[in-house]
Amino acid sequence: MNITKSNEGQITILAIEGRLDTTNYNELENVFLEVFTAEKFQVILDLSGLEYVSSSGLRVMLMALKKISAAKGTFVLSNMRDSIHEIFEISGFTTIFKIEKDVNAALKHF
Amino acid sequence: MAALKLILKNNISELDHLARFLEETGDQMGFSMKLVMNLNLVLEELVTNIIFYGFKDKAPHEISIEFNIDDDKIAITITDDGIPFNPTLKDSPDSINKSIDERDIGGLGIHFVNALMSSMSYERKDNKNILYLIKTRD
Repeated sequence: MNITKSNEGQITILAIEGRLDTTNYNELENVFLEVFTAEKFQVILDLSGLEYVSSSGLRVMLMALKKISAAKGTFVLSNMRDSIHEIFEISGFTTIFKIEKDVNAALKHF
Repeated sequence: MAALKLILKNNISELDHLARFLEETGDQMGFSMKLVMNLNLVLEELVTNIIFYGFKDKAPHEISIEFNIDDDKIAITITDDGIPFNPTLKDSPDSINKSIDERDIGGLGIHFVNALMSSMSYERKDNKNILYLIKTRD
């Protein structure tokens, strides 16, 4: 898995590529912790390169959503493939996450 | 009909091995990408459970995964020599439809198994856990 961090003004964009599973979910967790430690709670995930996510990866995203919500920030997921979207549906996550088709649409939430 | 067997050690890095095996098998057997992903999700959850909670000693153990692949279904048998554990007794979490604050972190894995497989049954035999899964093919 590759995680690339970039900024659009005050907004942090994390692009995740590859497989997010039990062997590497802590890498994403650590990136989120760095972002939150820097008091940044305006976050977009660009998931165009995400090929696979298991429950371990979903748990990290839920943790991030809870921290960002508690800090009154905004968290938007974007560019999700259909196969990944189905996993979010099965998890009941489509009702609690803001999900947009691309980063430009996600930026409109801020 | 094809019969395949994968043996994993009780080490979490073996999940990479599982993923590669499923991709290669999927290529050979003409599985859709969605089917490969769903099998991977289910097996990752079950194997992770066995590796993290199944063994009370530090010794190496083997987890065997057998596949019997037909045109209309895939039958999977997972065998391990860990402590007795029957995943069919675990329900999906009742928090799936709840709000962010009420949503808890656990239980998603077993929910995937229940949602993505057609059937699951369990047997304890010769000091081993044997889990039988069936996935009907679309």
